[in-house]
Amino acid sequence: MAISRRARPGSANSSVAPFERRRTNRYNTPMTQESPPVPLEHGDGPLTGYRVLDLADEKGQLCARLLAELGADVIKIEPPREGDPTRANGPFFKGEQGPNTSLYWWAMNAGKRSITLQLRLEAGREILRKLIASADIIVETRAPGESAALGLDYASVSAANPAAILVSITNFGQTGPYANWAATDIVASAMGGHMHLNGDDEHGPVRTTAPQAFAQVNAQAATGAMVALYARAVNAGVGQHVDVSMQEAMANAMDHAQQTWDIRHVNTYGPGVGRQTAGVRSGRYLFETADGWITALAVGGLIGLRADAAIDWLAESGEARDLALPAWRKKLTAMEPLAAEERAYVEETLSLFCTPRKKEALVAEAQNRGLGWAPVFSPGEIVESRQLADREYWVRVAHDDIGESFIYPGAPYRLSETPWRQRGRAPHIGEHNEQVYSGLLGIDAAELRRLKLKMVV
Amino acid sequence: MAQQARKKPFEGLRVADFAWVGVGPTVSKYLADHGAEVIRIESSTYPEALRRVGPFVNDTPNIDGSGYYANFNSSKLCMSVNFKHPRGPELVRRLVAKCDVVTESYTPGTMARFGFDYESLSAGRDDLLMVSMPLYGQTGPWANYMGYGHVLQAASGFNHLTGWEDGPPIGTGIAYTDFLVPHFAAVAVIAALDYRRRTGKGQFIDFSQLEAGVHGLGTAILDWTANGHEQIRLGNHDIEAAPHNAYRCRDGRWVAVACATEKHWEGLKAALGRPEWCDMDRMRRRWQRLNEQKEIDRHLGYWFEDYTRAETEEEFQTEEGVEGPPVRKFTTRQVVELFQSFGVPCGIVQSAEEMHADPQLAHRHHYWKLEHPYMGLRTYDAPAFRLSETPGELTKAAPMLGEDNEYVYKDLIGVSDDEFVELMASGVME
Repeated sequence: MAISRRARPGSANSSVAPFERRRTNRYNTPMTQESPPVPLEHGDGPLTGYRVLDLADEKGQLCARLLAELGADVIKIEPPREGDPTRANGPFFKGEQGPNTSLYWWAMNAGKRSITLQLRLEAGREILRKLIASADIIVETRAPGESAALGLDYASVSAANPAAILVSITNFGQTGPYANWAATDIVASAMGGHMHLNGDDEHGPVRTTAPQAFAQVNAQAATGAMVALYARAVNAGVGQHVDVSMQEAMANAMDHAQQTWDIRHVNTYGPGVGRQTAGVRSGRYLFETADGWITALAVGGLIGLRADAAIDWLAESGEARDLALPAWRKKLTAMEPLAAEERAYVEETLSLFCTPRKKEALVAEAQNRGLGWAPVFSPGEIVESRQLADREYWVRVAHDDIGESFIYPGAPYRLSETPWRQRGRAPHIGEHNEQVYSGLLGIDAAELRRLKLKMVV
Repeated sequence: MAQQARKKPFEGLRVADFAWVGVGPTVSKYLADHGAEVIRIESSTYPEALRRVGPFVNDTPNIDGSGYYANFNSSKLCMSVNFKHPRGPELVRRLVAKCDVVTESYTPGTMARFGFDYESLSAGRDDLLMVSMPLYGQTGPWANYMGYGHVLQAASGFNHLTGWEDGPPIGTGIAYTDFLVPHFAAVAVIAALDYRRRTGKGQFIDFSQLEAGVHGLGTAILDWTANGHEQIRLGNHDIEAAPHNAYRCRDGRWVAVACATEKHWEGLKAALGRPEWCDMDRMRRRWQRLNEQKEIDRHLGYWFEDYTRAETEEEFQTEEGVEGPPVRKFTTRQVVELFQSFGVPCGIVQSAEEMHADPQLAHRHHYWKLEHPYMGLRTYDAPAFRLSETPGELTKAAPMLGEDNEYVYKDLIGVSDDEFVELMASGVME
């Protein structure tokens, strides 16, 4: 397939790696084996034997991928010709945009089959009904008013297959005053209460740059799909509609802010370094070190039961300042809220201690002393981390179309009997048309050609 | 159409829930809210950490008064047992023998110390499903590292990707991974339950909070492994959409605005009244706008800061005929209604208080009010999904410590009335 070599101009906001900054990459290796099948077989997963149709955008593609990795046959349905709009989501491999170079597409659609189908045509919806009849789970993300016209509303789906589970993932849910509001990740992060808990007084609220409303709603939708699948088995094969809200998924990521409001009528908010709960800062500290940053639990790290261990450590290297004095020890172990200037003194002492030291050594020694510290890792440092290397976490995925293989994240869970498996690279547009239309639906070659000419497929 | 009564999905399944803090209890909450009998296994000698963390009713620490603990443990029962008591481990094993699922999130090795490892608990049966959910997994040099989601979010990349450009990696304000990774674990547990339903076979799931968390990083890992490019925190900017930011309004609060598609951008232009800067050549395409983020922020900033004079008494008490001080023209509510009417993604950065009053969440009945014997009527979160046939149901408030001892010890473990009194006196329930 021709890849359009339309390079994006280098951008100031680092959306694309500027080429001069691109390191020689030691992770990509030439492929040694013959082209593996796409997707790879998965005969021993807990979901092997189930079929999933994926008609989702960013709100549901990871959900469907998780099911594929547990063994389900996931068929991604794309519009003919140009393919799924998310193929245009950056960043791109080598910064060059093309239908098969989106790293977003790679990450979220690995291990699926792809077919093309035009749902705006009745002939396309006719085929969709046949696919639905053969499927267990359908994942779709259309706005509530738009799904019916494409045959993706629950009435149409259950008419085609009463046992089907339709997972509809929307911004705010199928009904309600905001049901038709537009949203993206940041809007759901805002309306879901999560963003209010991030940020600082000076700059205001902040979002996590890697989209979390999308991550959250995908994982929670997959859980909902699993509950419905189990429910079907105990209810004589009855399917159902799983109505998932991205706002609500974020509402579940508010820590105890909602309960703090409910019980104390206090609004928890921001500062990312230490949460403010009515004058009490809790959570953790952030300290700069010689080679980056570390985080330290406040309770269980510097104050509270473990404070003595932290103070002893500082004292042993002669850097405890006044903290080793009995009065300070008493104050820190007592877990009473510190006055602002006391807190500043504690933080300064720890900061002076951390600044000249290296982060992994600091964390190792802290852990050795029973203190809950962790390094701040970048994506690259996560890939290099010895914990994940020791656990053989990373998976090498062959891209036969490029002739290289790449490192992907590995198992999010290790099941002893029915393993998680990475199932190869993401599919090209309509890569499995013949496999699915002929093999699964029994459409013959002449008919398939006719459907292609009519732009149905 | 009259509907046949549906069975709750997990009706008849019993779960021994050894898990604590956020991650494990969230997983078993899904099971409990959908029909499983989930039994929390706790001790007053070694209390579950969250029972000692607020918010507390009346601001008074109480083992049964934590809202933090309560929210993770709706619909569950609770038995109390001290593992270190000579009779503790045996009683726990007898309970597990009556259970289908074991959930736990202790540091690796803790369960084994009491003979509660999978091998021991599943001896003589092959249908036990057990999931262990520590921070870093069962093996590896970090297996015994301690911490909570507050610091795991640093090790799993979320701090690095949260904060202002050129500022420190502040991370989210919360124990973030505690609120992300359990939804992954739940997928695996329920899929394994489905396999068990079909084959009668249980299994052990080694779940590492770190390893699941990495799947929440979007494209950051592949951008590094394929391109050698480290993604970095961008404040409220985005690698794919511009404009993309939060702006302050008249009421001092913030709205988030994003244009991810051409349609959104056209809508924004119309909502702003097509100012000249929107139609400049370098604003035409999405990738062009990405290069102009700062310029767009500047123009939009002017729009949001378009000062007018305070009009209402609430805003400023003015004397007759005297103008009030300058204020921003629009409130958050006005901006959101204007932008949404043009199809522009826009929403208020809502506080817990506003979430509590949010009409959409109320419509979906997201917050449940459950009566607790000590805490009174309290707010609980529901799952983000509504099942049309077998909807989740939060059947009861969180359990008091040892609330269900009589049922668990007598009916499940099978101790007699006399022995129950004896055990109570022995201290094994403390």
